[in-house]
Amino acid sequence: MTASNRGAVLSTARLGFAMLAPVLVVVMLVAFVPPDGNERADWFQFIGRFHPLLVHFPIAFFLLVPILEVAGRSARFAYLRLSVSFVLALATVGATAAAILGWCLGRSGGYSGRLITQHMWGGVVLCLVCWGCWLLGTRLRSLGLAYAIALALGAGLVAWTGYRGAQLSLGSNHLTEEMPRGLRTLLGVRDNRDASASLPDPTTFYGARIQPIFSARCISCHGAEKHKGDLRLDSYRGLMGGGKDGPVIQIGSIQGSDLFRRITLAAGHDDFMPRGKSPLAADEVKTIELWIGAGASDTLAANAIKNAPSASIAPAEVKFEEIDPAAVAKLRATIAPAVAQLQKQFPNILDYDSRGSADLRLNASILGGKFGDRELEAFDLVSEHIVVADLSRTAITDQSAVAIAAMKRLHVLRLMDTHLTDSTFLRLHTLNELESLNVYGTPVTPAVLPTIAKLPKLSHFYAGQTGIVPGKALPENLVSKVVF
Amino acid sequence: MSDSPIRPRSPVDLDVKSGSPTEVELALLQAQTRRHFFRNLGAGLGTVFLGTLASKLVPFANAAGAETAALDFSRDPRTPLSPLPPQFPAKARRVIYLHMAGAPSQLELFEHKPELKRFDGQDCPASLLAGKRFAFISGVPKLLGSQYPFHQTGQSGQWISDRLPHIEKQLDDICFIKSMRTDQFNHAPAQLLVQTGNPRLGYASFGSWLVYGLGTENQNLPGFIVLLSGGKTPDGGKQLWSSGFLPSVYQGVQCRSHGEPVLYLDNPQRVSRALRRSMLDTIDDINQQTYAAFGNPETVTRIAQYEMAFRMQMDATDAMDIRKEPDWVHAQYGSKPGEASFANNCLVARRLAERGVRFIQLYHWGWDSHGADAKEALNIGFNDRCREVDQPTAALLADLSSRGLLEDTLVVWGGEFGRTPMRENRGGQVMKYVGRDHNPGAFTIWLAGGGVRSGITYGETDDMGYEIVKDPVEIRDLHATLLHLLGFDHHKLNFRFQGLEQKLTSVKPARVVAEILA
Repeated sequence: MTASNRGAVLSTARLGFAMLAPVLVVVMLVAFVPPDGNERADWFQFIGRFHPLLVHFPIAFFLLVPILEVAGRSARFAYLRLSVSFVLALATVGATAAAILGWCLGRSGGYSGRLITQHMWGGVVLCLVCWGCWLLGTRLRSLGLAYAIALALGAGLVAWTGYRGAQLSLGSNHLTEEMPRGLRTLLGVRDNRDASASLPDPTTFYGARIQPIFSARCISCHGAEKHKGDLRLDSYRGLMGGGKDGPVIQIGSIQGSDLFRRITLAAGHDDFMPRGKSPLAADEVKTIELWIGAGASDTLAANAIKNAPSASIAPAEVKFEEIDPAAVAKLRATIAPAVAQLQKQFPNILDYDSRGSADLRLNASILGGKFGDRELEAFDLVSEHIVVADLSRTAITDQSAVAIAAMKRLHVLRLMDTHLTDSTFLRLHTLNELESLNVYGTPVTPAVLPTIAKLPKLSHFYAGQTGIVPGKALPENLVSKVVF
Repeated sequence: MSDSPIRPRSPVDLDVKSGSPTEVELALLQAQTRRHFFRNLGAGLGTVFLGTLASKLVPFANAAGAETAALDFSRDPRTPLSPLPPQFPAKARRVIYLHMAGAPSQLELFEHKPELKRFDGQDCPASLLAGKRFAFISGVPKLLGSQYPFHQTGQSGQWISDRLPHIEKQLDDICFIKSMRTDQFNHAPAQLLVQTGNPRLGYASFGSWLVYGLGTENQNLPGFIVLLSGGKTPDGGKQLWSSGFLPSVYQGVQCRSHGEPVLYLDNPQRVSRALRRSMLDTIDDINQQTYAAFGNPETVTRIAQYEMAFRMQMDATDAMDIRKEPDWVHAQYGSKPGEASFANNCLVARRLAERGVRFIQLYHWGWDSHGADAKEALNIGFNDRCREVDQPTAALLADLSSRGLLEDTLVVWGGEFGRTPMRENRGGQVMKYVGRDHNPGAFTIWLAGGGVRSGITYGETDDMGYEIVKDPVEIRDLHATLLHLLGFDHHKLNFRFQGLEQKLTSVKPARVVAEILA
């Protein structure tokens, strides 16, 4: 070994240790002064906030190295390999600086828990790996395989640590949260946007009314991922366990409950909660107040507090079903030819109830006097599929009674302004599904009322302008159903 | 006269060509070589593969894509109005929309605000004025309590003022939405927003959408009929019943409220119905040649429209002729045959509903109660407006109800925005008459019938009736809700135009107000 050579080795060793020292400092910090969930408004937090800004530089530098190495293998880009040592040194220094800032943020930003611990150790180990890569890549090139492994390990660590960090800032499911349904099923990723890990018992007041408020407004800072002030509000145990300053709920005492004091402060106050967000709604505050006053129990029944504000029901959402054309075709298979034939013969008066249904609606009223008993006969083939029949103002007579009575699945039957008489209506006792019967303007008399009253599902009986009049003659169970 | 010479031609006579290639296309096919074939085959198979792959990943490509995939609304061009079933089973089959053009004051009719009354005549606090724009109010206006007393009534115990004594009796059939909101501030765009889902010109109106989606059962009448009460035409003009980008056959047909319902529908003197028929046959022949030459479906639509006009000669006249109603019905509505009035139109609306017309649009006018003159003063003209609509509206509800039509008819009553809780002070002056300015931030509309929960109030405004404090409903939410009642997912009732699946609810997300569904 020549003297100059030895000098180079020595200077490299000095440089190496100069770079290793701060890394070891971070290891110490993370090992002996870990984040404790207390938030400190001091220089540390101020500096720490620059962690997300800085951290991307070493990431980029480090990931650049394998690219340089691979590209440098071709003669054309061989010169790139000369930069490797420099870039790795930059990555090491940057990673160390980012780790120090990260510790500042973690320590003072009110973080604690598994996620932050993993992220921190990931970052620290990455610093060491960077350093190791630098050493192997620059001075110990003979250990080529070890170098390659170290690089691969480092790249993996960058990904894992970065993912953990993003979970801290964006939420644990930030990558899959907005994943489209198709891809989700393809990859077998569960959609847990709505499902909480362990829901409290919804029959209790706590489960039904209190936890939902915390879940909506508090757990982003006081939950499984962050527990600022060492307080967790994602469970009853966490709530009653209190935070670093002791219990936040004093049973039965609204004044003594720090949680209540903080949510009722003015939004600008230092102690106000939820910090930086809009205050809880008046109803929510009232609900919490009544619950603390009633003993803050997690077994109290959901309806136990009488004067509690009504639960704010999440806006109901109307879901639209998909219609499967094949299933619909199958459903209609038996009647489709008959329906098509009838639609051709009597355009516009017969159609399916909806695009997904095999039920039929018949509206002959628009044909008026041109539609009579003979025409109605034609619908015999499909009569059991007709759920709505409007024969108002048609020329049908009592001869059609059988045809109408055969429409056993009718929900709505309109016979307004027809010449049908009691003899038809007396035969309608077969219509067990009938909900609405319209005899407005027909010559019907009260003699049909006992038959009508027996229709099990009837809710509306339109009997205006007929022989039926309001008064005592009405059977008791028809009184509320008859419309004049 | 025998029946045969004037019977309309069977549509089967028409020679409708569809999908046959033109000569140019044929020539292009002739020019294909084996090499073209192989070149296209490679690319084509690749495309097919990607296509099958993409179809599996459709939600991945565009999650909204699935929502907007079109339903099939295609029809034989000869019968563009033929009925189609709704997407889902529906409670409501038709709509009667009573639009009170000019925006009636909710604070004089439905919004009981005792706190506002308490501060009547006092200066409006600055907090209510900060960041607000008004059409006419300037400086610091005075608060204005309701001009009329309120009371609770009906089994549902809803509040109503003493101005609508007839409608009051139907209150248990009515569902109020007191938290309607619009982003339009002037009458014309606000009316367009309510009727077409968009404040700008050129969009399809609610009625057009519905007739496009459901068609109409009665082919002898238009599916979408518009009636004005006389007086002023709404500021939004005929655009309010325009079909916009939808085929023109779906636009609203304005019928006159007195005289002939549709001008020139009757045959001119010395023109018999038979002569009219043979004229139409000739025109149809010419139109058919035009269609054969150019293949434009609008030509077939035109033929269909001529035929409908011919059929309407009989049916429209009959449907509009309220002289055929007995006296007690006229007494109920307060209608007088021969004049143009809201009462007559309400009665016509019921007759049209009975005849299967899909969308019946009534416009009343003169609700713009600024107080700039007697006609639009809350204590003078406003009273007349209330009197004009109160009895007929109530009669319409009662009549529909007793005839069983309210079950599947959706009645909507409302204006295009609300009015301020401050008294208008045009030019900063105390005005001679009492009035209120425009308030797009909160207004009331009500619904009745077809699948609506009756006897309830949805939404809430603050103690001044100025801003919504609970459950705001945008116009698009209302549209989505009405379409839901009529059996449609508002995403699916769409029409591709200018690269967008156009919808009544436009592009912002709309919510079906599930809370008001029965």
